[in-house]
Amino acid sequence: MFDRFIEVNSTFPKTAHVLEHKRQGGLVFGWLCTYVPEEIMHAAGALPVRITGHNQETELEDGSAYLYVNNCSFSRSCLQMGLRGGYDFLDGVVGSSTCDGARRLFDLWRNYIETPFHHVLTIPRKSTPEAHALYYQQVVQFKERLEEFLGIQITDEKLHQSIDVYNESRTLLKNLYELRKLDNPPISGAETMEVLNASFRMPKELFNEYLKDLLRDLPSSGHTHNGLARLMVTGSVLTNPEFIKSIENQGALVVADDLCTSTRYWSDPVELNEDTTPLQAISRRYLDNFPCARMFPSDKRFNRILSLVQDFKVDGVISQIIRYCVAYAHDLPLLTERLRANGIPMLALDVEYGTSGSGQIQTRVQAFLEMLGARKR
Amino acid sequence: MIHTGEKKDKIDAIIRACGVMLRMNKVRPDARESENIYYQMLSNYFTRLQDAKDEGRFVAAHTVFFPTEILYAMDIVPMHTETTTWMISLFTGECADLLSAGTDLGLASEICTPHRGLAGAFASGALPRPNVMLWSNLICDNTAKSGELLMEINRCPGFFIDHPFQHSEDEMKYLVGELNSMIGFLEEQSGHKMNWDRLAEIVARMDRQIELFREICELRKAVPSPFHTQGFLELLTIDYLFPGQPEATDYLETLRQELADMVKNGEGAVSDERFRLMSFFIPPMHLIGFLERISQEYGAVSVTEPFFTYWGEGRLDPNRPLESVAEKSYMIPETRMYGPLDDRALKSIVDCAEQYRVDGAIYYADVGCRHTCATIKLFKDILNEIDVPVLTLDCDVVDPTITSEEEVREKLERFFELLEDR
Ligand code: SF4
Ligand code: SF4
Repeated sequence: MFDRFIEVNSTFPKTAHVLEHKRQGGLVFGWLCTYVPEEIMHAAGALPVRITGHNQETELEDGSAYLYVNNCSFSRSCLQMGLRGGYDFLDGVVGSSTCDGARRLFDLWRNYIETPFHHVLTIPRKSTPEAHALYYQQVVQFKERLEEFLGIQITDEKLHQSIDVYNESRTLLKNLYELRKLDNPPISGAETMEVLNASFRMPKELFNEYLKDLLRDLPSSGHTHNGLARLMVTGSVLTNPEFIKSIENQGALVVADDLCTSTRYWSDPVELNEDTTPLQAISRRYLDNFPCARMFPSDKRFNRILSLVQDFKVDGVISQIIRYCVAYAHDLPLLTERLRANGIPMLALDVEYGTSGSGQIQTRVQAFLEMLGARKR
Repeated sequence: MIHTGEKKDKIDAIIRACGVMLRMNKVRPDARESENIYYQMLSNYFTRLQDAKDEGRFVAAHTVFFPTEILYAMDIVPMHTETTTWMISLFTGECADLLSAGTDLGLASEICTPHRGLAGAFASGALPRPNVMLWSNLICDNTAKSGELLMEINRCPGFFIDHPFQHSEDEMKYLVGELNSMIGFLEEQSGHKMNWDRLAEIVARMDRQIELFREICELRKAVPSPFHTQGFLELLTIDYLFPGQPEATDYLETLRQELADMVKNGEGAVSDERFRLMSFFIPPMHLIGFLERISQEYGAVSVTEPFFTYWGEGRLDPNRPLESVAEKSYMIPETRMYGPLDDRALKSIVDCAEQYRVDGAIYYADVGCRHTCATIKLFKDILNEIDVPVLTLDCDVVDPTITSEEEVREKLERFFELLEDR
């Protein structure tokens, strides 16, 4: 059931779909953070893919030489892949002023990797009406620059179509997550991550078809998972399902997350109504979406985490923060406090991007699970 | 997590240290008058902060690159959190305690020491408890993210200024809106009304001070260069703590005159100038004295710091005081590191190197400061193209355990040899 998704992930970035799209003369744009509105690139006829790094923990000689050792291993891993030609098919790269890692990754990409089109969006850290007005301007400007670069018009009609495709994807993923609320879900956390990773690495239309098939087959598959504890994973960007597997292999079940590669990626739809243009609706959604730790005030994110904890009947939270991922590291004391006030224990792990959960991580997870087990008894 | 309010803070250690510096200067034959003004200003700043509680004055703690002009115009006592923490850690030698208090809060060791230390300083009571906490995202994630935790530690309200990344008209409008909202917040919290006339006066003085900063920079182009190698830290502190204040004008005018006299007489900061250096970012505080000594020893002087002393173009307009405060935030040299590093930003480094005729550059690579370290390779490549070698010194601005004097000496000596051979 998951092979098609795994196939995409194991061949990314040069997947068969990407290569075929290019062979047919299509454009591929890489985006760097969840605050870059994908629908705009999609409506321009391009295939948007999320720039991610090596799926495993690897030596990051080039990444470290260019970004220095004290930048998060996610940005170093992405840059290394770019420097070594992994993304040489890209026609454009779109960044945003989200966090130091992402903005410097964009700066160096722009200077050292010859991608023809570069654009960076200012992303406010608040979601006040004024912040929305500013972000909207940024989205308009991005659309205009894209139109100029490609010599096309991105019409409202095209934007409507793209919104439909992306919203459908969001609804399907929501349905998938509904299954994870069950006492014995038919899908594990690691399997979910394979699906999610594919979602930003292939044509959305095709992904939606794959996902529909999966949603049709899953309930009757006889597949069920259960665990000693239901866990939520929070923190920095994470794309290696092996990490989740290493937790689940110890008897837990990961049922929820607030990662920028998972719930924070798909959670909120673009809401259209008669009074809004598609561009306004898109920009509203992206700035109001389930917030990243970069956003202010942090309680908005904390409250959403707490409601996920409740909805998914979470027993404990695992925070995995990539070293030097400052936004999440700064939130840790406050989030720990909020969870503790709600009776939810948290295990905080320092990791490197791509980790599959080393021996030491396993030992700490084991101890955490034992503690959760003792609480249940 | 809460501020241990009952403990006595450590502000008096800074005041005492300033007093010692002043007394020492009085007996030093080569002491500059501007230095005396500087230490007196520091002493007054921290005395005002120390007395604020007894006098029932309203104190706003704020992070770096903050529009303090607004606080002065509202008669609110400012506390520059990073500077105050550095000074406490420098003058009390309690750096390790402050950092470990920060770690105890749950802050990871990769969080830069200025911010880990400052959270620790509030939590341990080394810094006095403010009435409000103010911060912005200039210039990094650490600054952007520190405020909420500090609000919680100090159990005080706060305001975050969301500084836009680029410099378009829309972004300026947004920033002015943010400043206006902050003024509203401060009026409500402090009961003080914004005094717009006073803000206009402050802006007028700030405009003059920017001119003076530029004139001082011009004088540093002379061969030999007249300002001592770590002098730029004084300039930084002046803008951090006293923007638009009359005493800052006094300091800058005095300094400019001193440097102009030196240039006229062909005197340099070092007796035999051999190497003209460009400095990137902040050297470790515990090595400042040593860096001055080695600078004399080898005739090596920092003549320009593109991100600290090289102000952006433009003027401030007292008739549009708030817009000017917003505009200033884009003229501050450091904000060149904030927006996208486009060709213009990169060209300014090359311009600096050429105009100041630098022989080499020193890059203080602070282990916790990721956005500045991420540009090491890029700046090196650009400078190497115009034949300027760059030495990277791994260090930490606050924590003395990261680099020793011996290590730095060895690296610098090798670098000077390399420059000599060229
Ligand atoms: S931490 Fe936030 S801002 Fe940075 S890359 Fe992740 S989602 Fe984007
Ligand atoms: S040291 Fe660097 S990371 Fe820390 S506050 Fe300063 S600029 Fe930010």
